[in-house]
Amino acid sequence: MSREGLLAAAGAGVLSLALLAGCGGGDSSGGGGSPAPPALSLKAQAGKALFFDASLSASGQQSCGTCHVASRAFTANPATDHGLPVPLGGRNMDLPGFRNAPSLVYARFTPPFFLDDGTPTGGFFRDGRASSLAEQAQQPFITEFEMANTDATEVLSRLQASAGSLKAFVAAFGDGALQDPTQALADMGDAIAAYETEDAAFAPFSSKFDYWLAGQATLSAAETRGIALFNNPAKGNCTACHPSQRQGYSDHALFTDFTYDNIGVPRNWNIAANFPNPKSPISGVALDYVPAQTNVPAGAEYAYYDMGLCGPFAPAADDPGPRPDFTHTTTLCGVFKVPTLRNVALTAPYFHNGVFPSLHKVVQWYVTRDINNNTGNNPTPVPAGPGGNPYFPVGSAYVNPDGTPDLYQYNDLPVDYNANVNVGEIPYTPPTFAGGQAPTLSASEIDDLVAFLCTLTDGYDPNNPSAYDVPAQCAAGAP
Amino acid sequence: MNRNTHRSAPWTLALLAATAVASGSAHAAGDDAASLKALQQQLEQIQAQLKALAEENRALREHEAEVDRKLATLGPAPAGAPQVAQAAPAVPAAGTAAPPVANASALPSTSALPSTAALGPSASATPGTTGPGLFGTGLRLWGYGEIYYTDPTSARQDSQFDLARAVFGIGYQFDDRTEFNSEYEVEHAVASADDVGEFEVEQFYVDRRLNDYVSARAGLFLMPFGFLNEHHEPTNFYGVQRNFVETLIIPSTWREGGLNFHGDTPFGIGWNAGVTTGFDLSKWDFAPEFPPYHTALDLEDADVAPLQATHQELALANGRHLSQYLALSYYGVPGLTLGAAVSTGDAVPVPAPPNAPIPGNQRVTLWEAHARWTPGPLDLTALYARGTISNTALINQSNPGSPNPIPAAFYGYYFQGAVQAWEHGDYKLNPFVRYEVYNMGSKYDGTSGPVIPPGDVPLSSAPGDYGRWPVWYDRVWTVGANFYIGPHLVLKTDYQWFHENVDFKRWDLGLGLAF
Repeated sequence: MSREGLLAAAGAGVLSLALLAGCGGGDSSGGGGSPAPPALSLKAQAGKALFFDASLSASGQQSCGTCHVASRAFTANPATDHGLPVPLGGRNMDLPGFRNAPSLVYARFTPPFFLDDGTPTGGFFRDGRASSLAEQAQQPFITEFEMANTDATEVLSRLQASAGSLKAFVAAFGDGALQDPTQALADMGDAIAAYETEDAAFAPFSSKFDYWLAGQATLSAAETRGIALFNNPAKGNCTACHPSQRQGYSDHALFTDFTYDNIGVPRNWNIAANFPNPKSPISGVALDYVPAQTNVPAGAEYAYYDMGLCGPFAPAADDPGPRPDFTHTTTLCGVFKVPTLRNVALTAPYFHNGVFPSLHKVVQWYVTRDINNNTGNNPTPVPAGPGGNPYFPVGSAYVNPDGTPDLYQYNDLPVDYNANVNVGEIPYTPPTFAGGQAPTLSASEIDDLVAFLCTLTDGYDPNNPSAYDVPAQCAAGAP
Repeated sequence: MNRNTHRSAPWTLALLAATAVASGSAHAAGDDAASLKALQQQLEQIQAQLKALAEENRALREHEAEVDRKLATLGPAPAGAPQVAQAAPAVPAAGTAAPPVANASALPSTSALPSTAALGPSASATPGTTGPGLFGTGLRLWGYGEIYYTDPTSARQDSQFDLARAVFGIGYQFDDRTEFNSEYEVEHAVASADDVGEFEVEQFYVDRRLNDYVSARAGLFLMPFGFLNEHHEPTNFYGVQRNFVETLIIPSTWREGGLNFHGDTPFGIGWNAGVTTGFDLSKWDFAPEFPPYHTALDLEDADVAPLQATHQELALANGRHLSQYLALSYYGVPGLTLGAAVSTGDAVPVPAPPNAPIPGNQRVTLWEAHARWTPGPLDLTALYARGTISNTALINQSNPGSPNPIPAAFYGYYFQGAVQAWEHGDYKLNPFVRYEVYNMGSKYDGTSGPVIPPGDVPLSSAPGDYGRWPVWYDRVWTVGANFYIGPHLVLKTDYQWFHENVDFKRWDLGLGLAF
């Protein structure tokens, strides 16, 4: 071995020892081999206080942390939202939102929105409409169906009334930061972004997968088969959008390439906005904040559609770096940002509208989306029930509120925009596919794939593997 | 070129002349008229022979000077230039730095004489390599290019016309020992952000003759591996497209930035050794979603082969990991060229998470050996090349299911036979046949190999675009002909059969030129 080789080997050895020492505990605040995190900056400390301060909301019951629960990889907990796939908020905590709250873990690696050779990429929120973590963090404070402050002035007054948060905020920004409400709200956003960026809980890289890469964990047979299916371009092909290799945004694989896609997710009838004259499922009050849409074609099946990049939501007027307004770029209607799959086992329900309750259902839908669906626009419909899609009770995932098959397959998208749906990539198996009407994954392969997805859950301790706490859906035989 | 043959010509000429004079004197002493007449006839014959030999000697000298000038820019090319010729101050300044591109020696160089004409056009007739430089300065220009039509007969919708490459060279002779050469290439006719073409600097180096036996070269230069890499002008190889072995295994046109020393020995051995930039495995794509190629043309152009995908071409090339190489060639026997080369060095590693470093380095080694024999009108060639990449097991183990893991070994070889079947004026017809084998992944560590989906798969995200995922190894027969119109133009045609990727079979038609 050359001198360079010896030095490299010695260096690697020292590094390995250091990493072993650093991650021996496998705790969520510094596991995965990262060195012990530095203490939070004053700004981040302020952000942490603000993040969990429910007194900053009009209801007094809602903070960032109530919709981004730490134990659920900083996503919402449907159990506290009356089982709804979208959080409840508002002054009376009776107003449902529109989208499933995304995980904030690893959100720090999200690039600002940009068009990568024409391909939408990055940005914050599921539609990339905020240019930074700080911009995103401000919005819930003044959103009617979330923390429901009328404006920045009301937010500031609540901050001044909250001793703990106020003290941390002033320590970070000084007394002068309380003079201008708009600037104060911007500083609050900065502080929360700093917390999400600095605190190791938002980027632990302590999953079983990470320790497996480091040679400190062994994947089970099912998990091993699962990652191979994940990478296989003719089976799961998951890595095409959720790369299992690092992509330049981080030293680790993030399992998202931050691009956007329209995958034809079924409409979720547990979202109130999807009904005409929507009302709160809690109080029955009319949801007058559901936006009117100008880009839903005449003749569409429904009046309201959540179409991601093309609306109904647009960048805030005061966002200093807003992405383009795609309201009338109809080819982008229905595309949503690809989420990370890290901790995905913790973040049910799934997709932007939370339509599926489990990873099994997600994968079952992926591999049968375009086959055996008893819907009106499927070129080769099959009868419902026996002979139909075996994974869904009526032979299709696309259903009406009463559970009967919907007229249209991609029923959460105006039929005029059906061409936007991605039908060219595995695991979708379009009816024209020469391989025929067979899902790319069998039922047992779906089990294997889900087993692998569960290894992306942070908190693995290589010294105590049996203590790995993964959700019930990761158990063998889970539905 | 056979240097020994050339240098013996003047001595042969003098000996014949002396013999003629001596013979004439002896017989003139006699008084027999018949004897005298016979002697006069003999003298006339000898004079005619002398005249013919003088003419041949002149042609040989011109040919030798020109080939030497061209080889002087290349180091130990297959027919390596004698360093004595490089040192000759009588060589015109512009000619000393004859452009590499115009060196037709890769194909015809082992031919002892242009008149054998078995190997296509003779180098001696190549313009642009003789006479003074432009405007009487040391500046020189040259170029080559090729246009082809390819018809994949199993997928005719993919047939294409293409201006594959247009290359222009600029050289400058600073003095009789120092020169600069460069080549600039436009591929696929239009190079812009919105087009498929590329603009590349293919060579950019200075060469300094240190003494009669050693020269030094620095910059971006072609690696002295195989036949094609240094001599890839279309007039210099058989077939419309370059062979697969010298594309997929030896990544022609393979160039690196670095420094080398090169020279020749009086006994016919050329040598070239240097330190260069190496390969960059961080560019490796473990997860191609779609087949990266689905025609034979794609296969050569898509940069999917191990060293094609990872060479750096001196474009912000990593400076931490360098390679070393040595190339030797032997040209001491007329009509025979033997050569071998090896390059080795650590590659830029595959990036790993900070908590999961991959111990050790990935060393990339490539070696090759080649031989060429040109008896009479025949041109027989063989080449073997093999590469290895070390320490890939952990990398591949972390990418199970990948259709494109990093191979531990890869190789290829070919046999080629050609013959000059017909000549008329400046027309020459050289049919050829070639059998080649390539395997871009003959051994894998940490995986059983690429996971290649069976059956049809999407070839792109366009709905309905389906086809087979090709395998990474094959055996290929090529039959075709080069038809030369003078030394600078060649029309080519060939047909190729593939044993594994049978749908790759294709018929090609090409037009090439070099000046």
